[in-house]
Order: sequence, then C-alpha cells, then structure tokens
Amino acid sequence: MCSGRVEPVFVLNAFENGADGVLVAGCHPGDCHYRSGNQHAEKRIEKTKKLLDLLGIGSDRLRLEWISAAEGEKFASVIKDFTEKLRIKGPNPIGKGRQSLPPHRAARESIHDVLKRTKALYCQECGKCSSSCPITRLDPAYSPRLTVEKALMGLENAVLTDKGLWSCLTCYLCRQRCPLDIEYDELIRTFRAKAANNGISGNCSHEGVPFSLSRLMANQETKQSRLAWVPQDAQVAKAGEILYFVGCLPYFNIAFDDINVKNIDIAQSMLRVLNSVGIKPVLLENERCCGHDLSFAGDQESYERLAKLNMAAINESHASTVITTCPECYRTLKTDYAELLGQPKFEVLHASEFLASLIDQGRIKFPGKTDMKVTYQDPCRLGRHMGVFDSPRKVITSIPGVELVEMTRNREGALCCGVSAWMGCGRHSKQMQVERLTEAKGTAADLLVTACPKCQIHFNCALSEKLPVNKEDFAIETCDLSVLVARALNLTQSPDSTERIEK
Amino acid sequence: MSEKPSVLIIGGGIAGIQASLDLAGRGMQVYVLEETPTIGGRMAQLDKTFPTMDCSICILAPKMMECSRHPNIKLLTYSELKEVNGSVGNFRVRIHQKPRYVDETKCTGCGVCAEHCPVEVPNEFDMNLGMRKAIYMPMPQAVPRLMTVDKENCIECKLCTKMCRAGAVDFQQQPRDVDLKVGAIIVATGFDQYDPSEIVEYGYKKSKNVLTALEFERWVCASGPVAGHLLRPADGGIPKKIAFIQCVGSRSRKFGAPFCSSVCCMYATKEALIIREHAPDVEVYIFYNELRAFGKGFQEFINRAREEYGVKYIRSRPGEITESPVTNSLTIWYDDTLTRQIKSLTETDLVVLCPALLPRDSNKKLASIMGIELDECGFFKVVHPLLAPVDTPIPGIYVCGYCQSPKDIPDSVAQASAAAARAAEALTLVQAQRTGEEV
Repeated sequence: MCSGRVEPVFVLNAFENGADGVLVAGCHPGDCHYRSGNQHAEKRIEKTKKLLDLLGIGSDRLRLEWISAAEGEKFASVIKDFTEKLRIKGPNPIGKGRQSLPPHRAARESIHDVLKRTKALYCQECGKCSSSCPITRLDPAYSPRLTVEKALMGLENAVLTDKGLWSCLTCYLCRQRCPLDIEYDELIRTFRAKAANNGISGNCSHEGVPFSLSRLMANQETKQSRLAWVPQDAQVAKAGEILYFVGCLPYFNIAFDDINVKNIDIAQSMLRVLNSVGIKPVLLENERCCGHDLSFAGDQESYERLAKLNMAAINESHASTVITTCPECYRTLKTDYAELLGQPKFEVLHASEFLASLIDQGRIKFPGKTDMKVTYQDPCRLGRHMGVFDSPRKVITSIPGVELVEMTRNREGALCCGVSAWMGCGRHSKQMQVERLTEAKGTAADLLVTACPKCQIHFNCALSEKLPVNKEDFAIETCDLSVLVARALNLTQSPDSTERIEK
Repeated sequence: MSEKPSVLIIGGGIAGIQASLDLAGRGMQVYVLEETPTIGGRMAQLDKTFPTMDCSICILAPKMMECSRHPNIKLLTYSELKEVNGSVGNFRVRIHQKPRYVDETKCTGCGVCAEHCPVEVPNEFDMNLGMRKAIYMPMPQAVPRLMTVDKENCIECKLCTKMCRAGAVDFQQQPRDVDLKVGAIIVATGFDQYDPSEIVEYGYKKSKNVLTALEFERWVCASGPVAGHLLRPADGGIPKKIAFIQCVGSRSRKFGAPFCSSVCCMYATKEALIIREHAPDVEVYIFYNELRAFGKGFQEFINRAREEYGVKYIRSRPGEITESPVTNSLTIWYDDTLTRQIKSLTETDLVVLCPALLPRDSNKKLASIMGIELDECGFFKVVHPLLAPVDTPIPGIYVCGYCQSPKDIPDSVAQASAAAARAAEALTLVQAQRTGEEV
C-alpha cells in the first residue's frame, strides 16, 4: 500500500498488539505515483512519533524510510539496523500488559433488567425524546423513542444491529425532558456494550486514533511521559491536596494541530491560574485517559481498567480535591468511578466550579478591563449530565468588561457540539456545528467560550473545514474558559492574546 | 341539654358547598371554613363545565347563595384552621380569622371603595392575568358579598374609608380566633395547579402566548381579564391556531406528579369547543398521550369535538415550544407517534399547557393539626380506598373531592354527599349514645 495510506492508527494498532517496532517504507520524495502520498506519510509519521513519545513507547520504535522497489540492498540494511536497535532497546513494554478478559457483565444483563435499571419500562411512548433529539431532526431514521419501543418489544437483535445505536450523542437532552426520567444515555451505553460483545462496533472518528490511544493507556505497563507541556517556570507537585487532572489534552494537542486549536493552552492556562493564586497542583506523570469515550463506545473492559489505574494513581497522590478542565473527565471521575469503585476519598470539581470559588473567596482579582461580548456553550456533560450551569457563567461575568450574551438554546436546552465519545462524526455533526456556530454568531458575541476541550475541537473543525455554506455566517473565534481567565489575568505569553487584553 | 349536632367543613369549593348543604338540610349546624375571601373554589374560576357545557358560575352561584342564606350554615371565609382537639362528637376547633378591615355587618359590597382605590395588583382569582385593587372583591359573584382589604399591598391612603357611604372600612380590625365545638369535620381542600415553569422547554412564563389551563379558563371567561374575547396574550391579536398540551407534569416521575389528573383530556376538549364556539375559524389541536374519556358521555363528547367542531387530536407529548422573537408566535416540535414523523406546528398563536393538578401544599399543615395522614402524593389517606373512601383513620373526620383523589366535578359532588352522609351517621350515633336511645 502507498505509504500515504498508513494512518497513525495502523501504527498504534501494531503497538497495541505487541509489535516492538514499526517500519514504514515509502517511495522516495518526488517519486510518488499519486504525487503527494509520501508527503502525507511524512506528516503522519511525524505526528505518530510524537504520540508514541507521549505514550512512553518511544518514537524510535517507529521508522520512516524511503526505499524504492529497486533498492533491495537498502531494504536489507535498514531492516538489519532497525531490528538491531530494537534488540538493544528491548521488547515493547506494553506487550506484557495485554490480557484477554471474559465478556463484560453488560453482556450478561438481560434486556428486561437493562430496561428496568434505566427506567425505560415506564416509557409512555409519548415521543418527547424523539422530538427533542437533535439527531432525529436531521435523520428521522434514528429515534430514541423507537429504540426504546423496540427494546420494550424484546427485539434485542434489532436494537443491537441498528446503525442508529451509534448515532446517539448521549447529549442527555431527551433524558432532561423525559417526564419518566428514562436514563437514555445509560441505556445506549449498555446497549453499545452489548453490541460490542457481539462484535458490533460503531465508527470511531479520526480514523480510530482516540480509541487506540485510550486502549494503549489502559494497558497497565504503559508508562507515559506526558508532562513535557509544563512550562519551565510553573510550580507543580508530586503529591499534595489539589490535583489537576489534565485529561487527554497533550494528545489532542498533537492530534488536532491542523484545525487551529491549541488544546495544551487549556492545561497551561489552568496551571498558570492555579500558580497565580499560590496553588502548586499535583500533575500525574502517568495519568491515563479517564475512559469516558471507550465506556460510551461499548468498550467497558478498557474503561474499567483505566478507572482502576487512575483511581490508584490519584489515591497515591493523597489529593483531596481533583480539578478537571474536561467535563467528560469530570462526569467520569465524579459519578462513574464512584459507581464502579465506590465513593472516592477526593472531591471532584470542574475548573469552572473551582475558578468560581476562587473568585468568591477573592483570591482571583482581575486587573484592568476587557471590553468583550462573549457567548457560552454549555457542554452536555457539564450542563445536563452534571447540572453545572451557573459556575461557568459566574466566572465569565466576573471578568470586568466582559458581557455574557446567551444563545437562544442555553443551559438545559443547549445544543450539543455534534459529536460525543468520538463516535461517528459525519454530515449531521457538521450540520449541528454550523447551526450552533450560526446561533453563537447571531448573538453578536466576539467570542464563543466553551468549558470543554472537545466542544472547542469540534467547533474549530467545522470552522476549518471546507463546507458548502457561507463561512461568514458562522465564523466566530472559540476559546476555553480557563484560557479566557488566564488571558484576563495577563497570565499568557501568547502575543496575540496580550494584544487583545490591551485593546 | 341537647345541642344541635354540628360539622366543620374545611374548604368552600364545590365539594365543601355540597357537603354543607346536605348536612344543613338535615338540620345540622354547619361551619364552612374558607381560606380566601369567597367560597366557590376552583369551579367558580371555570368558564364552562364538561361534558354538558354549562356556564360554570351559572350553576354554582345558586348553590353558593344557598350556602350563605341557609340558617344552618355559617361561612367563615378568609380564615384558617389553627387547632383541633377532642374526638368524634366533641371536637374543639380553633379558627383564625384574618381581618378584612371591612365591617361585615355594614359592607354592602357596592364596590365604590375599589373604584377609588389607587393601588392595582394582579388578581389571584384571574390567575394573575387581570388586575384588582388593594380593596377588592375577588369576583362579581363573591359570597359573602363583602370587600376585603389586602393589607400587604394597601398603602393606607384611606381613600376607601372616605368613599364608603356605609362607613364599613375599619382599619382597626384585629385578627381573631374563633372557638367552635363540632361533632365532625369534613376536609375538602381541592387542588392546586402545578407550576410548569420548571419544564423549561415549554417556555411557560417566558413566552407570553403560553398559558396554563386555569389561566385560559379565566382568559376566555366573560367575567375574566379580557371580558371573554379570544385574544393572543402577547399582543391582543386574533389567534388563528391554538394548541393544548396534555400531561404537563402529570404521569411523570420527574416533574409534578406521578398520577393522572383525570380531568385534563376532558377539559381540554371543553376548552377546544369553547374556542370553536367563539371563533369557528380557529384551528385547534390537542396533543394527548392517551385520551382518557371514561365518564358518562365523555367519549361522545370527544367524538363531537372531532366530528362537529373539527378539533384535531395528535398523539404526542411535544419536545419543545420555540417562540419567534419577532412575532411571539410559537412553534411546537413533536413526534407524531402514530405516523412516526417528526413534525412542527408553526405559527401557533396560543399554547395551553394542561398541568398536573396537585393536592394542596397546605394539606401538610392541616393533616398535622388534625392528626391525619397524607399519602406520598399529598392526598389525604383514607381507611380503605375502595370500601371506605371518605373515612380518615380518625372517627369523625372525613375527606371528599380532589384532596382525596383526582376527580371531576360530578365525582366531587357525589363524594361530598357521601362524606356528609358518613358525618351525619357518626353524629346520630354519638347523639344516641349520649341520650341512651336505641339506634
């Protein structure tokens, strides 16, 4: 195959399966039969190498060489050299940690028990869910009501093989409005786990990289080195009261560098803000993905492994407060881990809650004035799932000169950014993103503030993509809440942002 | 000495009125305790009744009048229950009477005072859609026909004192406690409407053209805030499309109440008919879940609404109602569950939410005063829901009407008569025991 076809996930999958090294051999630059295949390969391999460094697997286990079909000798010498180097380096550490597990308990739960546990047995088939669902509005073939009805009729096979099972955003809007409080998000999560046990899975966006990374992190032998982003002058601790759970930001920063979003800004901003009020937070060198996405994509085994590893690491740090900048980590650490492993010894706070309390205590004081109109995107996990609506608004409106203008659909009724758990980003996701960005633009705000790194990724993706619509109608700058606060406190070195503050 | 047997009735709605007339007719002394300045209750607020389409106040007012004129009935309006002691045949009851600041013996209810009162506040009787003065009569047919000063909003300009030709306004009035001895007590406190503003997707209190059913009753009532003209609340325009939404907070495990309020399918149909009678060209939609038309003549009533009046029934609980910021018109998003299509009803001028009807919050206080219990929904508990539906566990205390379980007017009236009969039976027994007569 053309080296340009070698997606990062192919390489990651090889390591997941225990490979000690991966060699990608392509045609020499200028010799590509498809003009630019090898140029793509170069970019992709470079990106993949960075991911491997973060994962602690090491970029030197991946090699890209230009070897034409006529260069047998070069091929032999490269292979020889690479295998020799790998021999010295030793086997892929995570090869040892691979384990096969019996089918997850979700597979054993009867459909009746699932319906009972999620309260779907009370369904009155009123259709409030389906008429609220943003996906059903765009694609009537999928309907939460019909999914429940099929399950109530006992048509397990029909439910598990339905493509719609993977369309759901688990955005909670239907559950929010359901008069019977049917836990639709949980129903979908369980059905997906059941489907996965039957060998059915949905499509992971970004060619499957996010899931592969999470699964690699779920391997207990994985020893990441993920703190390279921490600025030289920043204060961090190995153990202490307050822990900042960074989430997958270092990975996102590499994976999404092409859509004009610097995710690591969020982590750096949060760290600087914490330092500025004298907090020296614990950062975990080997923090792992919280497992939210795998859990909502049917891979309960990997999720549970991640949960146990993270829980042990946090407990070891003796932290009593865990702060997250990601609403998915927030939900997962706060409620899902508690359900799985019992009530943790630490309190989990989303950055917005922590920042709001710092403002309340007078520990954050904003210098100067930032004349700006902003609007705010309620992340599904933070808002509807966890009920945090006020803290982010409080933080925003505490910044002198910043005016918050609400979109028509806000708080409980906010529209999802179009993708969740990296499942099936497609036409409908883009439609939703354009719709939401248009709504944001319609408020005449200068900035769309989010409190979720993924919302920002998804909006920026729509903004950077070529779409058959007029960009002017929805082009709006996005910014994470922590970054907004850091900017307002002049805690950022980025020249364009300082400019903004002075202006 | 043989005292006249007496009964206290808590609540001056249709159930309380019926029970009091029954007992007074048997020669017993009846006290009707009512929290508001007038008896009449919820039925007095309704425009019409189902399935007969009677004018509600027209059939109720004569009964209210009968209550006030009956020599055996004493109305204790604007009053609250404070204390109950004793047992069947010998309850000692303390009632707290709030001052009206109007001398009941002098006031003729002419209303001149209200004409001159400079303070305007929302009228609770009109579900706060219309205005009243700080000295007011809740409705034209109020019984007793007395003015009441709303001290909270009164600015004490004393203009009313000056204008009253009967010299009835008396700002010196003090609250007073009345002690009564009664043989039995009947509780008939009725219902409250669930406030659907927490169901944010329906926009109640945000979108002006979204009303609750009781608000709509007042809105289309000739004695209501807009004299019964069918108008759009937002701008007074003429509506062309009106929709009703059923089960707003009822049959819900999250908002409002888990039970069915039992009357909404029918009153929505009644209100739909009222609309079509007012303006035959208005399109009327009723979003329902299950049409519960279980009473005599009810299914026929719905059939008539469909056949003769062209009311459209859609099986769905809509997902959301959005308001146009320009026209204030509403769009209702719904899943037509019979055709499985996601649709929207656009340019709707008025949406009437049919909220859960809840037993009153104040039942808690009443129950603790009387030593009786409420069930998990707030209805008064009875000895047996099937075989002793009006008997509380305390002999001599009975319940009837909506506060016992969801029901409509005819059922409330029937149950009120049942409670009256049970009270009379108990008192006859007590009387007989006292005098040593054989029963």
